[in-house]
Amino acid sequence: MRKLNKTIFLSVLVAVGLALSVLESAIPLPIAFPGAKLGLSNMVVLVSLVVFGFKDGITVSVLKSIVLVLVTGSVSSFIYSFSGAILSCIIMYLGYRFFQSVFSIIGISILGALAHNFAQVTVAAFIMSNLKIYTYLPFLMLTSLFSGYFVGLASSFIIKNLKVSFNIIFRR
Amino acid sequence: MTKGDKLLIVFVLILSLVSMGYIRKQGLSNQDKYISIQVNGEEIKKIIFDDSIIGKTLPLDTKYGYNLIEIGDNEIRVIEADCPDKYDVKQGSISRIGETIICLPNRLVIEIKGIETVDGIDMMNY
Repeated sequence: MRKLNKTIFLSVLVAVGLALSVLESAIPLPIAFPGAKLGLSNMVVLVSLVVFGFKDGITVSVLKSIVLVLVTGSVSSFIYSFSGAILSCIIMYLGYRFFQSVFSIIGISILGALAHNFAQVTVAAFIMSNLKIYTYLPFLMLTSLFSGYFVGLASSFIIKNLKVSFNIIFRR
Repeated sequence: MTKGDKLLIVFVLILSLVSMGYIRKQGLSNQDKYISIQVNGEEIKKIIFDDSIIGKTLPLDTKYGYNLIEIGDNEIRVIEADCPDKYDVKQGSISRIGETIICLPNRLVIEIKGIETVDGIDMMNY
């Protein structure tokens, strides 16, 4: 029963992440910059990392990337977002596991956003075989500060409430 | 927000701003751009930035008018013109790819263009 509960919980999280991803593509950004996005769905990954642990967190993030291709149909952006999702997931977990006393959820979210952008730019540099793509990185880093901050702020609220309901469901 | 968060934000902010400034400065280097001088829509001269031509002047005497161009260190400006408004002289120097000096009465366009690599990718859809 507990396992089924968890599966359903994770599926709901993936679905929420997908909805957020689709929703955020409808939000116009004040800066027209390729690769810059709000990263709202990072909230879901962060929440599942913190509440469920690394294995389930990376499952959610991988599933979300794969299903998102089916929704948007853009394979080229999948290559970028998939690599970004995996690296940011690993970095966020390491940050949460080992630097919990140093960073709050906001700091971890910023770390994840930075890792996401770094992976994206690296993959782009590989695909275009042009190292000049790295000149995009400072701009992306700046945007990831803002998006990471607000995503982290939102996640900390979600985590606070989710942990309560989580404890009720799983009777811990 | 812990102290670590604030430190991280400040660190990333400084890092990105510094590297942005660095990239901007690198973008001004003379490797991959040239001056294109066009009169009446035709490119009559291409000049590649070089240390040996710093400070040189170039008179342009066409049937539309007279302009005197000075090439500086990675920049170019018009120092004399016989057009009535002399907007091209007042504009000062240009140095970045895409910038132009235009003298409409003399049908002169000075543009800084980037040298395109032949085997590069034209466009990338994101």
